[in-house]
Amino acid sequence: MKFKTPLTLAALVISAALSPAVHASEEVLVLGVNDALTGGGAVYGLPQANAVQMAADEINAAGGIKAGSITYKLKVITSDDKANPTEATNSVRKLIDRDNVKYLVGFCCSGSTSAVASFIAKEDALMLVGNAAERAITAQGIPNVFRTRPPADFTGSAAGTFVAQKGARNVAVIGALEVGFYTQYVDAFEKELNKVGGKIIAKEAFGLRDRDMTPQLTKIRGLKPDAILVVGYVEPAAFVYRQAVELGLNVPRYGFTSGSEEQFLKVVTSAQMEGVWDLRPTELTIEALGPQAKAYDANYRKKFNQSPTPSSPYAYDQVYVLKNAIERAGSAKDAKKVAEAVRTLPIPKEAVMKYMANDGSAMFDQNGQAYTSNGAFQWQKGKWVFVSELPSDNKAYSQFLRSIRK
Amino acid sequence: MNEFLQQILNGLAIGSVYTLVALGLTVVFGILGIAHFAHGSLAMFGGYLTFVFSTSMGLSFFASIAMAMPVGAVMGMLIERLAYRPVRDAPHINAFIIALGLTMMLEGGNLLLFGADQVIIQTPYQQVFDFGGIFVAQLRMVVIVTAVTLVAVVTLLLLKTKTGKSVRAVAQNRHAAVLMGVNVNFVSSVVFAISSALGVAAGALIGALLALAPGVGESFAVKGFAVLILGGLGSLPGAILGGLVLGVSESLAAGFLSSAYKDVISFLIMILVLLVMPQGLMGKK
Repeated sequence: MKFKTPLTLAALVISAALSPAVHASEEVLVLGVNDALTGGGAVYGLPQANAVQMAADEINAAGGIKAGSITYKLKVITSDDKANPTEATNSVRKLIDRDNVKYLVGFCCSGSTSAVASFIAKEDALMLVGNAAERAITAQGIPNVFRTRPPADFTGSAAGTFVAQKGARNVAVIGALEVGFYTQYVDAFEKELNKVGGKIIAKEAFGLRDRDMTPQLTKIRGLKPDAILVVGYVEPAAFVYRQAVELGLNVPRYGFTSGSEEQFLKVVTSAQMEGVWDLRPTELTIEALGPQAKAYDANYRKKFNQSPTPSSPYAYDQVYVLKNAIERAGSAKDAKKVAEAVRTLPIPKEAVMKYMANDGSAMFDQNGQAYTSNGAFQWQKGKWVFVSELPSDNKAYSQFLRSIRK
Repeated sequence: MNEFLQQILNGLAIGSVYTLVALGLTVVFGILGIAHFAHGSLAMFGGYLTFVFSTSMGLSFFASIAMAMPVGAVMGMLIERLAYRPVRDAPHINAFIIALGLTMMLEGGNLLLFGADQVIIQTPYQQVFDFGGIFVAQLRMVVIVTAVTLVAVVTLLLLKTKTGKSVRAVAQNRHAAVLMGVNVNFVSSVVFAISSALGVAAGALIGALLALAPGVGESFAVKGFAVLILGGLGSLPGAILGGLVLGVSESLAAGFLSSAYKDVISFLIMILVLLVMPQGLMGKK
């Protein structure tokens, strides 16, 4: 470019110098979504990635994130970790090193998330974890890791209290017990049951691929339990519920499985499911949450032509946590400062999930853990119905979490 | 006692499915010497096909199976002609490698055609009968009866028909059979047709009793081979006995020892048999 006259040059310089004073500068802030976009974990990861995109679009449409004199417009890039620990490490490394991402969201699955958590403390980054339920992720107390989803055993204790209140004293457990967080749920459940003099009379296992649980159920039947607790993935769990009826095991059935009506009805009839309980975080349950949830549901359906999954809002809320924290910190340049802002952040008004406040009305506790309420759901005439909240003490749990390393 | 009988009954239903799978494997192995590992995935394909016939065409369970079996038979014959026949006279390892490759192809094909979510074939046999504390699900009875019927039909086919005689001749001594004028290519096709038709039926029963999903076929193929080793390679009565023994052992082991070791039992039995009685329960020495 040739400057024809010194006058042109002077005009250009002056206008450039004046620009910042005329309007605030705009920058692009890259959000890195690391999640299981393909493979077995995609049922959790893809909806999270969608939720992040939706939140980012909403924020940009409303003018972006205003921090100090800078307005940030969000740009979302996604990276598939296939719910695999090695892939996750590579995926996040690429996001940090190649794409210069400081803000990582998503994280649906425990194995891959734990792998990233093991090195993220040394990075200039902030990691917000979603659906991954493994307790150790926040028990370690890493300063730049925060999680919107409560650890499985937080729900397990609440479930144990509930089932004990219902009068069960000899409970037989059947579940995917080789998976860490299911065992943690059961252990917390057992502690509460023991408090009232009840006990777990059997702990039978099944794998993700198993479909015939009649041997385990026959054994349980012989022990004459007054209730059974089923913890595991919806696909095999549905068979447990059906086979329990086929074996004449007529005791109350409590579960920690999640799963939509369609997923269950593929395997078991509605009549066979009647009365089954699901004791889990309330997650996206329209009747238990507020207008925010209804709006989220409607917008998600419109944007993606499918209904949002119950756990997808964990990721949506992560984006609003970031927005509010960056505005509080005054800038997005220093991930450490933003992390400090997250630590004392009150629950954002845009959050969809219902969180329980910690000390100082902060959303996250000392370990970076947020707590959503737990609910008791029951299958009634073909649908999961929200019956009541499960009594949950997040402050007591938070103290417990602080005292352990995993 | 009740619990013991219940476990045995539960085990018999799964065992009869194992028998069907093993039968399909043993005819191919015994007569053609091919370790047809892809049988499990073909069985799954048959199960998925049965599901498609029953849902999209509204056919009854058995009508759907009856339509899927010929399709399976044709696929089996195609596989024999295109994949195995070219390596018929080569070292056995070649056929096994091809079998593995076929497994991957079929699994991939099933995934593309039918998706990754589990598929269950709905049947009208949902009743449960209570015999003094022992509960018998109607569907399990249907599975056992179907398997028994198919085994009987195949046995009759092999023992009483001229084609069956040709098949047995090739099994005994291929070269002599050729000299006696038996068309070995025809026999190979027939064997694969029978094997695959049985596989399709097994897949349909698995789809009705349990579920069809990626990976299920392979695990049934492995159990099928365990049954072959237990019963004796190439022995039909061995496959029948072996299948039932494996099914019941798994049930009893999971019920009285530990559910965590249910799948391990099949491998333990394989190892024990190979150590103590390598020819299997009914195999020839």
